[in-house]
Amino acid sequence: MILKIAFRNIFRQKRRTILTALAMIVGFMLSSVFIGWSDGIYSNIIDMFTRNRIGHIQVHQEGYLDRPSLYKNITVYESIGNTIQNNEGVEAWTPRLYAAGLGSVGEKSTAVRVVGIDLMREQNATKFSQKVIEGRPFQDIALNEAVIGNGLKKILKAEIGSDLVIFSQAADGSIANDLYKIVGITDSGDDITDRTTCYLNLSAAQELFVLEGRIHELVVIVSDINHVGRVTSSIKDTLRGLTLEVLPWQEVAKSFYNAMQADKQGDSIGRFVIILIVAMGVLNTVLMSVLERTREYGLLRAVGTKPIQIFGLVLCEVVIIAFASIVIGAAIGTTINYLLSVYGIEFIDGFTFGGMKFDKLHAEVNIRTLIIPTFTVMLSALLVSLYPAIKAARILPAKAMRTR
Amino acid sequence: MENTQKTDVIVTEEITKVYDPDRIPIFALNGINLTIQSGELTAIVGPSGSGKTTFLNIISGLDTPTEGKVWLAGKVLSEMSGNELSDYRRDNIGFIFQAYNLIPVLTVRENVEYIMLLAGVPKTERHKRVTAMLESVGLAGVEDRLPTKLSGGQQQRVAIARAMVSEPSIVLADEPTANLDSKTGSDLLEMMRKLNSDTGMTFIFSTHDPMVMESAKRLITLRDGKIDSDETK
Ligand SMILES: Nc1ncnc2c1ncn2[C@@H]1O[C@H](COP(=O)(O)OP(=O)(O)O)[C@@H](O)[C@H]1O
Ligand SMILES: [Mg+2]
Repeated sequence: MILKIAFRNIFRQKRRTILTALAMIVGFMLSSVFIGWSDGIYSNIIDMFTRNRIGHIQVHQEGYLDRPSLYKNITVYESIGNTIQNNEGVEAWTPRLYAAGLGSVGEKSTAVRVVGIDLMREQNATKFSQKVIEGRPFQDIALNEAVIGNGLKKILKAEIGSDLVIFSQAADGSIANDLYKIVGITDSGDDITDRTTCYLNLSAAQELFVLEGRIHELVVIVSDINHVGRVTSSIKDTLRGLTLEVLPWQEVAKSFYNAMQADKQGDSIGRFVIILIVAMGVLNTVLMSVLERTREYGLLRAVGTKPIQIFGLVLCEVVIIAFASIVIGAAIGTTINYLLSVYGIEFIDGFTFGGMKFDKLHAEVNIRTLIIPTFTVMLSALLVSLYPAIKAARILPAKAMRTR
Repeated sequence: MENTQKTDVIVTEEITKVYDPDRIPIFALNGINLTIQSGELTAIVGPSGSGKTTFLNIISGLDTPTEGKVWLAGKVLSEMSGNELSDYRRDNIGFIFQAYNLIPVLTVRENVEYIMLLAGVPKTERHKRVTAMLESVGLAGVEDRLPTKLSGGQQQRVAIARAMVSEPSIVLADEPTANLDSKTGSDLLEMMRKLNSDTGMTFIFSTHDPMVMESAKRLITLRDGKIDSDETK
């Protein structure tokens, strides 16, 4: 019966119900879109960071990540790569060879990080050619061509067509020394990378460092970033017995991952604003309604309704409105999130974050966009209704029936 | 079913009610000693402000006296907790106020049913009693209307039905006819008198309408919170 009264009161006081519901719906929507949008941005950043740079999963010789060394390399990488490719969810893989050396152009010299890449595979996996902003990528067969980072170009005062001498020590202890023609300049989005990196053809790098048939890193791209964990363990399974380390991006780039996680938790200000909107709207209307209905509560009390039942009646009305509002808010919020995830928002000049350039950002529809707003709205509505509900429960019937 | 064996339904002992005791004290009631027996039809009369409402509120446990004791059906009201009083009111007292008697969102039937629902009376029993009760106050046919769709007299009849349906020890009515025209008012009183004699239920109502006083068997006159006269016809 209390429930019946609650329901009918909701329909009787349409204007008030709509106001209350509006506060809750707007609060839910804001919260939902806020989360969908910020989660979307994080996903965009993570996607960019992993897909274009570190990959989703990396395979190294054991201990390489902790202490990189020319000697901790992987042999028969082609067959390892093919084994990996056969795992479900793997989109592409690409081998890399890393070495340090001294790069010189004319009078200028600086430390360079030589990265040997398989151009076709690298293109497939991380869209290498998109990073080349000047000139062109080297040709597949050309062993004497190099592509260098934008920052390195400035340090070395190099131009397209300049000659680059790389000087280092090879794996067999001999002197590694060769001349390359700079054919392209990259902008990877990360300044530090661009100040040091010099890309060579994988076979050229293997020859320079006397590491024929060997690489240091095998980068794997998966088709769905959310399945990285699963794909990682299945790759681990297929590579069992080899002294290889298979790590997902969360472990390869631990500090980046932790920063993203911390940022995700940090939306408390947004949540506070939403709680405030809901709280103000609900407190206002519920309190007004309680004050207006003093007589009615007085009557209910007079004929034998207990204070706790009056308390329940007030909360009941709020909960019913909250439920309906959450459903409506979820529908609208999810629609907005969905549209934003499909169409995204374009930035005229793009913007950079952590050295990565974004032209367009997309929102995301996930469970957080529903669960967090639901709890936020329900709890804040209930919390602020406690006071009016207690007030209603405490109405003295003798006094209430006198007021006119 | 006339209850021939009379018992004391309400006994009051030196009831005093003082409002605002700290500033200028108003003695709404000042030493009321009364005994009301079962089956009585008693009118509390007196000018406005003489303490009628305060008296009815106190004997029903809606309000507490500053001093004095009330026995209702043998129990001392001041010794009951809030929840006990709620249950006690629900089971033993029927209320009819001057106005705003009904829960606006409930239909006539639901309003009358409400107290029995609180008391946990089974559905078929509830239904039977509500139907019979509405019949006896002449409201058959409007059971499913909302209170706002009824005339003032009809609303008060619903209130009477609501007050009597759970067969309380006592029915209290605070100026039940004050908002009605005199014809409707006297019809209502006639009905209350008939219900009183038919059921033997105890009725106490307050009024300052001389015509209304006619229908009472016992007339208690209040003046400035004191009993001025107490006559039984
Ligand atoms: N809550 C209150 N605070 C102060 N004075 C009150 C209050 N309620 C009633 N009174 C006073 O008590 C007296 C009796 O009032 P009441 O019982 O309503 O009389 P009646 O019902 O006969 O008109 C009046 O003087 C009234 O002003
Ligand atoms: Mg009065």
